[in-house]
Amino acid sequence: MKKEIGIFSLIKRIAFNLMIIFILVYLLFPFYWAVNSSLKTESQLFMTPATAVPRDPVTLEFSPTLQNYAAVFQDGQFLRGLANSTIVATSTTTLALVAGSFAAFALGKLRFRGRKPALYLILAMTMFPQVTVLTGLYAVITALGLSARISMIFSYMIFTLPFTTWVLTAFFKELPDALMESAQVDGATPFQTFRRILLPLTAPALVTTGLLAFIAAWNEYLFALTFTSIDPAARTVPVAIAYFTGAVARQEPFGEIMAAASLVTIPLVVLVLVFQRRIVAGLTAGAVKG
Amino acid sequence: MAGKNDLGSTNNWKAPKRMGISDLARREERLAFRLLLPALLIILLIAFYPLAQVFYTSFTDRVFASGEETNFIGFENYRQLLSVHVMELEPVLDEATGQQLVDPDSGEKVFERPLDVLPREPNRYRELNQFDLLGKRYVIGATDPNFIEAVQNTLVFTAISVFIELILGLAIALVVNSKFKFRGAMRAAMLVPWAVITVVSARMWEWMLAPSRIGMFNALFDRLGLIDSPIAFLASGGYQLSALIAVDVWKTTPFMALLILAGLQIMPEDIFEAAEIDGAGKIRQFFMITLPLLKPAIAVALIFRTLDALRVFDIFQVMLGQSTYSMASYNYFQLIGNRNMGLASAIGVIIFILIFVFAVSYIRMLGVDEE
Repeated sequence: MKKEIGIFSLIKRIAFNLMIIFILVYLLFPFYWAVNSSLKTESQLFMTPATAVPRDPVTLEFSPTLQNYAAVFQDGQFLRGLANSTIVATSTTTLALVAGSFAAFALGKLRFRGRKPALYLILAMTMFPQVTVLTGLYAVITALGLSARISMIFSYMIFTLPFTTWVLTAFFKELPDALMESAQVDGATPFQTFRRILLPLTAPALVTTGLLAFIAAWNEYLFALTFTSIDPAARTVPVAIAYFTGAVARQEPFGEIMAAASLVTIPLVVLVLVFQRRIVAGLTAGAVKG
Repeated sequence: MAGKNDLGSTNNWKAPKRMGISDLARREERLAFRLLLPALLIILLIAFYPLAQVFYTSFTDRVFASGEETNFIGFENYRQLLSVHVMELEPVLDEATGQQLVDPDSGEKVFERPLDVLPREPNRYRELNQFDLLGKRYVIGATDPNFIEAVQNTLVFTAISVFIELILGLAIALVVNSKFKFRGAMRAAMLVPWAVITVVSARMWEWMLAPSRIGMFNALFDRLGLIDSPIAFLASGGYQLSALIAVDVWKTTPFMALLILAGLQIMPEDIFEAAEIDGAGKIRQFFMITLPLLKPAIAVALIFRTLDALRVFDIFQVMLGQSTYSMASYNYFQLIGNRNMGLASAIGVIIFILIFVFAVSYIRMLGVDEE
């Protein structure tokens, strides 16, 4: 009897691990292919059939090249782009989280007239395609005389602020009112309740929203392209990559684009690794009793 | 920390009982307004003018980047985009026999040419599609068949990709939520597709889906002996939409999974302990407890995914060029290619309305905004 249970749980463990491996392969394989392509020369890229690792076209021996990476770093654009992207995405995320969590506190936990219209007004901000709002946005930016980086930070609010506000509203609302009432009985001010109770308890949502918003800002292309057109020094990574002219390749520098794309993904993965503990650490068991 | 002083000053914010109900409500309302202020200021500063301008421009014939005079033309842009007309096509008869003519090459019956039947005034209609009903042939004409097709493509794309993402995202979130060794690394790996720059990701997939064995998929399928000749995944017809859906599902499932995971994380564990004691099985627990508690997280994830899918641009633009449009890539074509800013704005407004309808119906369906 005991042995059967052992076998059953073993099968379950194997099935679970297989599932994990399957998910990982599905999610990571295309990225692997980008890294693979980034290690190939132009002639290796055009080999038929495509090879799963960079191979010499004649001898078919394993022969990766770092020339694409060298080209990426020689192009000063890329490193400057990394710095710009970091500044812009960090500021955007901070602003969107602060303004968004304040708004979400009101929308999720307080009763007031105009709650629903406010909720929809904030969402409406992001319901147009980016191309459509571009001309109007450009007019606003010019009228306010904002610099390229500040323009990007503010214009990214269009898609980050509604997102942080809505997600956090949904999560705040889930927390039982009893928690807030007991804090209030203890004499806590609204801000204390917000900081000491709402924020810690919804930390997983906060970190998740922050990460997703950060990446959305990090990857934005169209606004960045438009607003940096007069100030090339402010170009973010996606724009810098688009301006790659190809130091090595004669045509579109596909290998270099893949090298740059692989490189910029690494800081993001590190960022997630750093913050992922917070994704789980949100709830100390039993803190919320309904 | 300006906010701290600000909010801290309202001590006893939810007023004690001796104060009147209205007083309590007023305090709460004032606090809510102050909390909303930063967000509202940002909207006013950044979003108000561009959004208002889109609405206004959609009623004009404004030309993009030109000094030409702009005229107010009412609903003309919308009429141009949305006019659809169904007409019956008369069979073409053989004058000698009185029988319907049959095309000697294709063996199909011959009907009138749609262009001869469809109205030309005030706008010229072009053929969108033909269908048979009760033995008669009909033609659907539209003044802008490209846009109607773009709407169809986008809706199909959105419905299928968002649905698959929801199921996959839910599954992945549940797996990652259980305790195992490399959970941290798994969470980081999970975000990789979302982290790859969108424009680059589209180029990368275009490369992998290349119509010869340069492409990973054709090389792989060929190696496995699944195909005789390379498949042109991105050429017009069969595989185009499926390929784009696959790319979008890969790229954005992490978004869905992560939001659902956050929803799972803030669930109080004692509910599950109680259910365990009551003898509820895992599957029952999932449907009776997990899913209902996940509703708010799923609702926001669905809203933002749908919103992005309805505005899908990069992958259509990069991977399909001008061969097949999504609403947003058609919008781009009208604005940048044709410089028809009035029409482009009208497309923007139509997308806006569609998204609004979707958002409201999600909220209603999932019942997440009930007080």
